[in-house]
Amino acid sequence: MIPFNFRLIKIFCVLGMLVACLATPVVAQPNQVATGSLQATIDRAQPAMVKVFGAAAGKVEGVATGFAVSKDGLILTSQGVFLDGKRVRVVLADGSEHTASVLKRDRQRQLALLKIEAELPSWFELADKPITQQGDWVVAICNAFKVADKAEPISATLGIVSLQSEMDAKLTKRDYAFRGELFLIDAITSNPGAAGGAVLTADGRLAGLVGKIINSSETNTRLNYAVPCNVLHAFVNGDENASNTLAASELLAEKKEIGELGIQVFLMGGRKSPAYVDRIKRGSPAAEAGMKADDVIVSINGEKIASVKDFQDTIKTLPVGEEVLLIYKRGNGLIRQKLVPAAKRKRK
Amino acid sequence: MITFLNNKINAALVGSWMIGWLWLLNPVDAIAQKAAPANQGRSSAEAAPLSQIQSLQLTSQAFRAATKRVMPSLVSIESFGGSSVKAGRIGGIRKQGEGNTTGVVISPDGYILTSTFNFIREASVVTVKTSQGDERVAQILGRDDTRKICLLKIDDVAGLSVPEMQPAEDVKVGQWAISLGVGYGDQTPAISMGIISAKNRVGGRAIQTDANISPANYGGPLVDIQGRLIGICVPMNPQSQAVAAGVEWYDSGIGFAVPVDDFAKIIARLKDGQRVLPAFIGIETGPAEGDGMEINGVSPDSAAAKAGVIKGDILLAINDQPINDMLRLRQILNRFEAGQEISISIKREVAKAEDKAEAKTGLKKIKLVLGSVIDLTPKEPGEQQVDKPKVR
Repeated sequence: MIPFNFRLIKIFCVLGMLVACLATPVVAQPNQVATGSLQATIDRAQPAMVKVFGAAAGKVEGVATGFAVSKDGLILTSQGVFLDGKRVRVVLADGSEHTASVLKRDRQRQLALLKIEAELPSWFELADKPITQQGDWVVAICNAFKVADKAEPISATLGIVSLQSEMDAKLTKRDYAFRGELFLIDAITSNPGAAGGAVLTADGRLAGLVGKIINSSETNTRLNYAVPCNVLHAFVNGDENASNTLAASELLAEKKEIGELGIQVFLMGGRKSPAYVDRIKRGSPAAEAGMKADDVIVSINGEKIASVKDFQDTIKTLPVGEEVLLIYKRGNGLIRQKLVPAAKRKRK
Repeated sequence: MITFLNNKINAALVGSWMIGWLWLLNPVDAIAQKAAPANQGRSSAEAAPLSQIQSLQLTSQAFRAATKRVMPSLVSIESFGGSSVKAGRIGGIRKQGEGNTTGVVISPDGYILTSTFNFIREASVVTVKTSQGDERVAQILGRDDTRKICLLKIDDVAGLSVPEMQPAEDVKVGQWAISLGVGYGDQTPAISMGIISAKNRVGGRAIQTDANISPANYGGPLVDIQGRLIGICVPMNPQSQAVAAGVEWYDSGIGFAVPVDDFAKIIARLKDGQRVLPAFIGIETGPAEGDGMEINGVSPDSAAAKAGVIKGDILLAINDQPINDMLRLRQILNRFEAGQEISISIKREVAKAEDKAEAKTGLKKIKLVLGSVIDLTPKEPGEQQVDKPKVR
């Protein structure tokens, strides 16, 4: 058994833990089980955990995890097409099966609130402020790969909080609809069926909800992330307009007049080559700032400009009169330059 | 990836051993250093024992303290331009070596170590941002393809923070290890904890850890519980020397870092812009009757060909270490690099013997200077560009 354990520091499941009680005297002491072991944390959490089954979409199975947030049948889970089927089933910790209705969804944060017509044996309190910080141990309880069936306890995985972050500012901004606060964990949760699981602090408080499977566009690896409890609190307690206002402000931005900097990049190298300046338009903001041919643009407003394509995509979004910070490379130096896009002059 | 995770979950049923394990590990490691007197994990008559959760919470404090300590030495590296060396996916990673990557300062005047993986796309412009927020264009100096690391230099900087190092001989299997990297796009690094799984992997060049190692932290540091540098995180796979080999194991619990005591030996060469290449001997082998491996083919112009090895020879040993299978051959070759001299023992058919002594015993010892694959295929796409940065 022991040689397999290199990987298993971070992952173990409740069934195994019961065996461990017998094998490991440290854990078996009754006072520790009651007052301060992970086993107690996990045991206490199980009655509030549910398995959610919905419609399969193509190869993607309609399976998720969820957890109770009230006595009267409110269940949080992850938003997904599997909730659009004819029927959503929720299986409680005792194995009983209930039909759930979808009360509300948040497509920005990929959350859904379900309701079943039954009393729940146990539920989690949602704190309105984040309760974890980087380095904290967390236990993710999620039904990855549908390992647990019916009344079987859901698998628990141990990890730490890797990073607290914001999705729209930092992560996968181009590929994925998720926006808002999140935290990354180093337990592996990005697997089918795990989304909607509970992320608990070591002492059993609800820290977040296991996110869906997504790939980082920065690294193209899977992210193991969770939506923090304060976001869940806002979602459950009716802060529904947040996402709508966000969308509205974006619409507004699109109506603004787009300006120009007067930079023409070298196009012959293809869209993947760096954004070398080919020509600076006379009298343009870039010309007044002293930019020259052969400068390389590496960043606009903090967004990385890795290629001609990035430059072209970004330049289309800069409104007239709104200052932008441009960083370019000249020789071996990097120069920061503030520029104000000017109105496009029409050709004569 | 999915197969891996699947296995992990299946294997999880036997994983419960860890509870006792954490208790044992805490006192000798994090807690002893940071938060509590030694031996506290095991109860004594005077002090009440910590609960499992209390001791976990203390380790969290230690993780944060370690992170804080090494943070000033982290840099964020960005690459601009360049194209994929190889089309398609490697280990499920669609675009390799894109985005922010991590490096570690190794001298106050701007030498930085990172992973070659981060330049797999052969970017034309590389910039480095220090923890103080200074951004500079970086020159790529030498690289070591056997360790998957390369050296960068940024100018006009002074007083950069160099991390304290944990001497490699002090690194113990089972001790805490924390990997850090800025690859998720934040200035703050993401951290992942684990233990040292093994030492002396991949020809003695790498330390193995079960902390998550991925493109998000290749080039970043693996540190001990005190924040001392153990090594630089790199993708590795003992079966292959390709630059991206090992990335298919990202976040799987099998991760590698190249330890710091090796750096001193090679750093001078990297500063010179040299490239350290994996050894290539140039033989195809198959099982032999009896000891050794039969040489079924010899690549023209390879080290073996130049030394007069011929098809049909039986390879018995390298530097007197017996070779009986492919794995052993690879393990031994992994310890060397291109340009080093080795001696091989072979057995040759009597009819082909070159002198009387040899005809008598059938045994022959040959000295040969190891070459590299690149010597043979200089035009392999994407091989030369990373050596010298293309800066206009």
